[in-house]
Amino acid sequence: MNPTRPTTEHADEEAVLADIRAMLLTLLEEYGEDDVEIGTTTTFNRDLELESIDLVTLAGLLEQRYGDRVNFAEFLAGMEFEEIIELTVGRLVEYVVHSLKAAEAG
Amino acid sequence: MAIVDTGEIRLHVQRLRPRDAGTPVATVVLVHGLLTDSLASYYFTVAPRFAVAGLDVVMYDLRGHGRSERPPSGYSLDHNIDDLEALLDRLDITGPVHLVGNSYGGTIAFGWAARHPGRTASLTLIESEPATATWAAKLGGILRRVVTELAHNEPDAIAWITAHRSHNTARLAKGAARLARETTLGGDIPASRVLTEDEIKAVRCPVLGVYGGDSDLVELVSLKETLLADFRSVVLPGHEHSVLVEAPGPVGTHILGLIRAAIGIRPVGAEAR
Repeated sequence: MNPTRPTTEHADEEAVLADIRAMLLTLLEEYGEDDVEIGTTTTFNRDLELESIDLVTLAGLLEQRYGDRVNFAEFLAGMEFEEIIELTVGRLVEYVVHSLKAAEAG
Repeated sequence: MAIVDTGEIRLHVQRLRPRDAGTPVATVVLVHGLLTDSLASYYFTVAPRFAVAGLDVVMYDLRGHGRSERPPSGYSLDHNIDDLEALLDRLDITGPVHLVGNSYGGTIAFGWAARHPGRTASLTLIESEPATATWAAKLGGILRRVVTELAHNEPDAIAWITAHRSHNTARLAKGAARLARETTLGGDIPASRVLTEDEIKAVRCPVLGVYGGDSDLVELVSLKETLLADFRSVVLPGHEHSVLVEAPGPVGTHILGLIRAAIGIRPVGAEAR
């Protein structure tokens, strides 16, 4: 994954979605799934059939890509159990974009 | 992902350290439960908060679980305690540690504390108990059901769970069925060596029991009060066995309170949510 320098909010989200899609495909490859549609409304639990331990691996991939600007564990720790079950790719993209902007501003 | 090879087994370990990179005030080791559980139950609940509170947080997947190696056999309680022992040695954690165990993880943590009372600074048992003959019989019953009803009659069992529980529970059950089918876990755990009363009494550190108010483990509170030198318990109403993932806020607050008291820090509550 190459570092990206998007200039608009729209581009930000597109770039982050592309990053996260690539990370999820890496994870899904382990299960022999290499042809999966991933969009903003895709849910981690029901659509991608990811288990919570897969999300720990995803946390590691996010950290590799974004460093300590994005803290996925804290993001999920702030949620109710049901919210985690319903979590969508789009919600994670929003969180990552928000975190990156906060890091840039701060 | 960090894999630590203890020499016996390859274990998946996650470690969170205080964010300011200062020296941690203490080390806490979090041990998860059986079959459907993994270190994720801590990673996405209490662990980040413990790191913010200045603790060095160590989590690992038990053998056969999560991302750790799954050997076909070797699933007695003593195997699990040996793994924890070897892991701490491998990580060079030699000083006293604060142990937290959820369900079967608490039984493992208690077993480690009974072997190393001098190295246990505090112990939290979430919905959990020490290994006794009663414990082994109860777990034997649960595991027999998993093996007969789930592992060997999976399609029917999964269909029932999907209809009466949820898609997520059904998925977890599939994972549990696979573990029970591929390993000797179902027979090994009930056959584990259990602790004598003297071994239980050897644990002199502060022990906290956390229970869901609707869980049948609540009745253990009086048993532990008679055997343990320093035992207190908290009952969280409206919760059952999954109290850790359902109520991580209160559970985390009680554990931090115990750890702070054990290391002599007054509660500050600044980072409490």
